[in-house]
Amino acid sequence: MSSLLAPDGFAGADPSSPVRGVREALERRRARAHGHVYAVVRWAGAGIFAAVFVTLLVTLFDQASAALGHMGIAILWTGWNPAKNQYGAGVFIVGTLLTTLVALVVAVPIGIGTAVLLSELAPRWIAAPFTLMVEFLAAVPSIVVGLWGLIVLTPLFATHVEPFLKKVPLLNVLFHGTAYGASVLLAGVVLAVMILPTIVALSRVAMSGVAVADREAGLALGATRWQVVSKAVVPGARRGIRASITLAMGRALGEAIAVALVIGNNTSLPHSLLSPGATLGSAIVNSFSEATPGSLEKSGVVALVVVLLAISVLVNAGGQLLLRARKPGLPPRGPVTESASPIMPTVPGVPDTAGTTT
Amino acid sequence: MFKHRFPILVTIGVVALGAAACSSSSSSSTTTVTTAQPGSSPGGALGGSADTSTPTVSLTGAGASSAQPFLTRAFYDYNRSNPNVTVNYSPTGSSVGISDIQANNVNFGQSEIPMSSSDLAKATGGPILQLPIDLGGVAISYNVPGTPKNLHLNGNQLAQIYLGKITDWHQIDSSIPSGIHIVAVHRADSSGPGYDLDQYLIDTSPTWVTATGTTTASKTWPEANVGIGQQLNSGVATYVKQTPGAIGFIEYSYALQNKFTNASLLNKAGAYVAPTTASIAAAGSHAANLSASNYNIVNGTGRGTYPLANFSWSLIYQKQKMINTGIALGKLLDWVSSTGQRNALPLGYAPLPANVQAVAHATLLKLEDSTGSALFSS
Amino acid sequence: MTDAPIAFESSPSLSAAVVRRALVRDTARRSLARRRLAGRVATSLCTVALCISLVPLVALIAYIISRGLPALSGGFLVHTPTPEGIPGNGIGNAIVGTLIIVGLAMAMAVPVGLAASLFVVERPGKLSGALRFAANVLTGAPSIAIGVFAYAVFVVNFGYSGLAGSFALTVLMLPIMLRFNEEAMFTVPADLWEAGLALGSPRARVVRSVVLRSALPGIVTGNLLAMARAIGETAPLIFTIFGSQFFVFRPTSPMSAMPLTIYDNATQAYPDAQQTAWGTALVLMVLVIILSVVARVVAAHLNRKTR
Repeated sequence: MSSLLAPDGFAGADPSSPVRGVREALERRRARAHGHVYAVVRWAGAGIFAAVFVTLLVTLFDQASAALGHMGIAILWTGWNPAKNQYGAGVFIVGTLLTTLVALVVAVPIGIGTAVLLSELAPRWIAAPFTLMVEFLAAVPSIVVGLWGLIVLTPLFATHVEPFLKKVPLLNVLFHGTAYGASVLLAGVVLAVMILPTIVALSRVAMSGVAVADREAGLALGATRWQVVSKAVVPGARRGIRASITLAMGRALGEAIAVALVIGNNTSLPHSLLSPGATLGSAIVNSFSEATPGSLEKSGVVALVVVLLAISVLVNAGGQLLLRARKPGLPPRGPVTESASPIMPTVPGVPDTAGTTT
Repeated sequence: MFKHRFPILVTIGVVALGAAACSSSSSSSTTTVTTAQPGSSPGGALGGSADTSTPTVSLTGAGASSAQPFLTRAFYDYNRSNPNVTVNYSPTGSSVGISDIQANNVNFGQSEIPMSSSDLAKATGGPILQLPIDLGGVAISYNVPGTPKNLHLNGNQLAQIYLGKITDWHQIDSSIPSGIHIVAVHRADSSGPGYDLDQYLIDTSPTWVTATGTTTASKTWPEANVGIGQQLNSGVATYVKQTPGAIGFIEYSYALQNKFTNASLLNKAGAYVAPTTASIAAAGSHAANLSASNYNIVNGTGRGTYPLANFSWSLIYQKQKMINTGIALGKLLDWVSSTGQRNALPLGYAPLPANVQAVAHATLLKLEDSTGSALFSS
Repeated sequence: MTDAPIAFESSPSLSAAVVRRALVRDTARRSLARRRLAGRVATSLCTVALCISLVPLVALIAYIISRGLPALSGGFLVHTPTPEGIPGNGIGNAIVGTLIIVGLAMAMAVPVGLAASLFVVERPGKLSGALRFAANVLTGAPSIAIGVFAYAVFVVNFGYSGLAGSFALTVLMLPIMLRFNEEAMFTVPADLWEAGLALGSPRARVVRSVVLRSALPGIVTGNLLAMARAIGETAPLIFTIFGSQFFVFRPTSPMSAMPLTIYDNATQAYPDAQQTAWGTALVLMVLVIILSVVARVVAAHLNRKTR
């Protein structure tokens, strides 16, 4: 089987036989050619992806340039009033951040708790079917979730949930005002429903990828099952859990139709979580189709898309910066000079601790 | 071998893309072109039925979603007696309909407000004909427990509701007990009903003009910072239906279907008129000198006229490159605007009044082929 | 050190020393009974979390079934749409359209996604870091923006077509696939990397022949999850495929698709239209569930083969 053997020398070759030499030379040439084709394919893939991304940005910036030039940096804090030629994203940015925050606050604890249960604590005959069921939630199209939110959740929130929240003494600061049903809170909850399967699925996969050796290390030291989970498994899966939260947050930032159906579409600044509001996504979906092509308004809507992508960039960059600030107690990067544990011997040159990729 | 799969898959992908790019999609029919003799009108009489011996013509149209139920029903009806003509209509919205016809991607566009002169200037295929094809109205629907069935509202009251100045139903009608909060629901997306109501409020309420700062009606609701906005008629209707104290503007055919309670509005003649197909038809019949530049029938004259009504306009190129398409299009639209109106009432639209049908007919007579000779004789 | 395999963080080997230090600290402070109690409380909380997760799921699916099931009569799955009030309505053309559009999108996205993720994994550096960041940002793009982009590139030049819709869906799926493929490849344990390198293969070969085979189940799952997301997206299709009331098989023509049918019908007042919308939603959901189950079966089968 020549696939695993490097073209540059392999064990057991007899360099003296001429037939073998020719065959080796031919195989080496073919392997190199395959390597070239393979490299081309890789570059092509990366190139296509990069080309698509760049073209997307260029197209969006080109269409948004009229409005961006018109508004300048003030786009970040002014309001949206097309009749007065004002295309500011200020209110929408607030709405986007609020709804995403609510969605994460609701979905992350529930998602990780569910993932922990399904991956570690529950017996197999419970875990398997329930895992499937939670992932089925991802199968529902976003417009259907939005419609369900409008038809079923909105009256529920208006008559029961929101009045209840208004009565809770400490929370009154966050929850006051008329209970319309359609509100920032409801939009956040609907988003939470949509991002939950992502968090559960990816966290679960990450947790089940934690090495058996680490769990056994904990158990051997007399830890309870929960201690093994909280001290060994969850920290060991943190890369995957972080990735799941990043993906979920991306989805929540960009969701448009479902949010537009439940948020109340009010362009004034929300003064409580029970107020109707608007997000960048909902504003885009409301205004794009009917804006006259080539008009300043159309450009303004595409400018909203650019602002949304900018927020996504900032949030992702911020997340990566947080990663770089490493917490104490985490293992060091690079080669390990002394044996770090009695259980797993160190192989020089191979980091056996968690190091970051470039 | 595994390592060969990538180049092959990528090649397949690239070839598929290339093949698709090379064949462009066409929006007009796949017919042979009949050359017209100078001086003849190959279409004959406009009112005659389509010649069933001509090859199949398939037409595409795009535009207002409000017209879709009526148009698809009318096209289906037409196809039963003229099976060689099929129509594909896409309810992408008026603005997309306009840009599609500007780019000549479709045979006809459909818009609730005719194209402005700047829109017309962007049309790539020459001058555009605009004709009214259906007539609809906007209902002010409300959901107030224990109210009189027929609330009377005038422009000033509506303006104050939508500006957030009146917040209790008791202030509107003293027979309603106080304490019921008014929830003003508007359209979050641009809409024809929003345009109509905006126009009505501009005409009847100085408060509204002061607050919005303009006397030009707009499809985007100007006071989106008050109350709740919902998407499309369905969003407004669903929300109003489930929220006590809510009031919203919905297309009349939609409100009729959902059996909403609608307000009677004060019209120009001083009467409070409820929305019905009859009162909307009255608004249409009082349209004087109707044309694409004089299209507004909001707050019209007539004692029985409902003030919130508007036509829906079909947009076609005057010069039709393919004669068969042009003939089929002309005959189709003429039929829809006359005999096809029998599909209007069952769906909650008002049939086009006779004077408006005449306008549509006269507009269609202007259809020409690419050399400039008329397609129809009468 | 120079030819060391890529140091990746997700190597699940936390230093046992760290675990030991934390545990010793913990154990010294608490008794066994208290630890067990903490464990039970935590388990109860997690069970509550699971129950809360299931509530929206059950409610949603029950609602879709209750409103959509009445629509599934007669030839709903094979007829074409009829206007309001005319019997014989169906979504056959929408189902066919969805399959064609999504099929083409997968044919374009899967190879490109795989090739690009191989690039990112095999050649760590500024370029691949940039690609990864771009993928992260793109997953946050609203699908309507991608529809707008596809409109500007395809529809303006070539007119409405199913292919434009496929292109939009490809752009939607690519960043998700890139991230999933990358994560899948990083969960491969260090020993497999080391084994390949120990045999003297260059890094690229190790990835291609060893790592890819082990990560294949994860890659398949990830790609099929991306497809499940794309199948249900409405916004990219609104601007690109135009819709049609007839059966269309040529991707270069305007065609119909299920999310578009849902959107058009759900926004109308007539009871027929409403029922069609929810029936389509039900069919779409069942289709995606079937594909997800297939994904798991395929992944498990491949897993058995390689382990």
